[in-house]
Amino acid sequence: MTTLQFSDTPDMRHQVQVRSEAVYVDGTPIQVRKSAPGSFVGTLDGRTERLRAVAHGDTIYVQFRGRSIKVNRMDPTRASASGAAGGAGASHAPMPGVVVSVLVTVGQQVTNGDALLVIESMKLQMTISATLDGEVAELPLAVGQTFQRNDMLVRLKTSGDAA
Amino acid sequence: MNTIKKLFIANRAEIALRIVRTARRMGIATVVPMHDQDQFGPALTEADETIEIFGTPAVAAWLDIPGIIRAAIDSGCDALHPGYGFLSENATFAKAVTDAALIFVGPPAPVIALMGDKITARRFAVRQGMPVTPSADEAEDPATFEQRALKVGFPLLIKGAAGGGGKGMQIARRIEDLANAISVARSESQRYFGDGRLFAERFVEQPRHIEVQVFGDTHGNVIHLGERECSIQRRFQKLIEESPAPALPNGLRDRICDAAVRLASAARYVNAGTVECIVSPDGEFFFLEMNTRLQVEHPVTEMVTGLDLVELQLRVAQGEALPLRQADVQFSGHAIECRILAEDADAGFVPDTGKVLVLNAPTGPGVRFDCGVTQGAPVTADFDSLLAKLVVHGADRTLAISRMRSALAETSMLGVTINNDFLSRVLKQPAFERGETDTGFLERHKAELAPAVLTEAERQMLLAVAASAAPDISATRIPEPYASMGGWRN
Repeated sequence: MTTLQFSDTPDMRHQVQVRSEAVYVDGTPIQVRKSAPGSFVGTLDGRTERLRAVAHGDTIYVQFRGRSIKVNRMDPTRASASGAAGGAGASHAPMPGVVVSVLVTVGQQVTNGDALLVIESMKLQMTISATLDGEVAELPLAVGQTFQRNDMLVRLKTSGDAA
Repeated sequence: MNTIKKLFIANRAEIALRIVRTARRMGIATVVPMHDQDQFGPALTEADETIEIFGTPAVAAWLDIPGIIRAAIDSGCDALHPGYGFLSENATFAKAVTDAALIFVGPPAPVIALMGDKITARRFAVRQGMPVTPSADEAEDPATFEQRALKVGFPLLIKGAAGGGGKGMQIARRIEDLANAISVARSESQRYFGDGRLFAERFVEQPRHIEVQVFGDTHGNVIHLGERECSIQRRFQKLIEESPAPALPNGLRDRICDAAVRLASAARYVNAGTVECIVSPDGEFFFLEMNTRLQVEHPVTEMVTGLDLVELQLRVAQGEALPLRQADVQFSGHAIECRILAEDADAGFVPDTGKVLVLNAPTGPGVRFDCGVTQGAPVTADFDSLLAKLVVHGADRTLAISRMRSALAETSMLGVTINNDFLSRVLKQPAFERGETDTGFLERHKAELAPAVLTEAERQMLLAVAASAAPDISATRIPEPYASMGGWRN
């Protein structure tokens, strides 16, 4: 039994079991057949569909009708831990990049939606905004510093939080 | 004449490979730089030699003028091709290359400097009778800037004089908007470029981006190789380019191409260059800028003319006269290029990183795939998000569009999100098929371009396949056709 989720609906978890006669998705049998390494054939509404898939770590990339769709494999032992890391007020880097400007200082009061810092990755600038009302608790990076994907960029705390 | 024997390619990825292939065909040896953070480029295995360059972040190594020139000299090269991007339009670099007794495959440094400065280029174009949009430059007299801007007429585009890339630009459509547009553009320009000086010009609504490929030699010959339309853009960056431009009346096409040749001749232009214009819905055209290098989208011109632009560049750099005159340039059929980018187009064109686990290159009649990555290559934020260029040719635009759709569906790079499906959706739009393209196309058709929502049955099938997928095979086995895959696909 594997637990899977789509990147666009992280709240929905699906139980999938691969058996010899079919693959059971949340209890429903689905007919898919491996036609070559990484290639699969299935039927949808009487139409033959060819798919490709490859797993890299806990991410599975599936190619379907020209689209590439990401499916995540959940490790039940780690699923709960990752959600708590950093707390609700922490913003993590969606991709590696560099800090262009820092618009707030530690201790400053901010409201939900306020611009906190501007980052740049692959020529694209993005503004990281406050996700809650509170105070800037941590600001580990200075202008010009680079970061990796998932590095913490800023952490806020609500007035009720302990330091 | 000064025959090139060994060429240094001061670039990477797909364009490095594309230059290697032509040089090799001409019997010229090639050297491509390699960096610790960039070891998967296809040119590295195709070039005769590689030489390590250094810098942190990695991109700094390709921008390090003394470092690049030292690498070219140490590897025994007698010429240097800059490709596009990086130092290709840097006049200081071009001069440093020739000072080091190397042949620079591009125009002379003073010509690069003339066209590199937006204001001097614009003044030069005006003197050659090239139409430009009415404008007002704040630096001329800051006190009267607002009045002069008003005189230009609405709608007005207010932008930073030192700016570029769409940053710090504001549109004012009515007199009431002007003060606010000036203040926002000034603060953005100050923030992005450290320079708050402004420039106001008439904003052309629904502009088409039309550019002319020009070529000059050291014997005073200048010709054009037709136009390209590059109106499908997001964030002022081109996504789809084609030649010839659809729905451009022949008379207007000739006027634009002739004006481009006149401009290039007046500048004593040598080598490949591109004169960029915007064309209004009522057929007026205005000079935008001139790019003094090979363009990313040059393959569409190669497809319709049958010429090899890099070969022409190298021959001109050796001092040869252009091998053909204007009347000898023949145009055949229609070509389209799609830029395959590492980005999630449906999430607002955000760049993606990852690793190319499975690479499927499209093939077939009229299909060319200039690819800058190999299977197993990491895709990082260190470089531009352009991974490959898919170019097709057909007897007419309808066939070219149809071939492009098939080729896009055949293209896959599992392990990193690419924009091929988004591009397919653009090519399926009836407005695109009718040639109704301008730089506002993607924004205007946003709703129609959204991906289809997956049905419950489709999602179940995806989950079933995902659960059956094997781990990353690239680490252990690279299938031979992909391992040796290169750029030219004719």
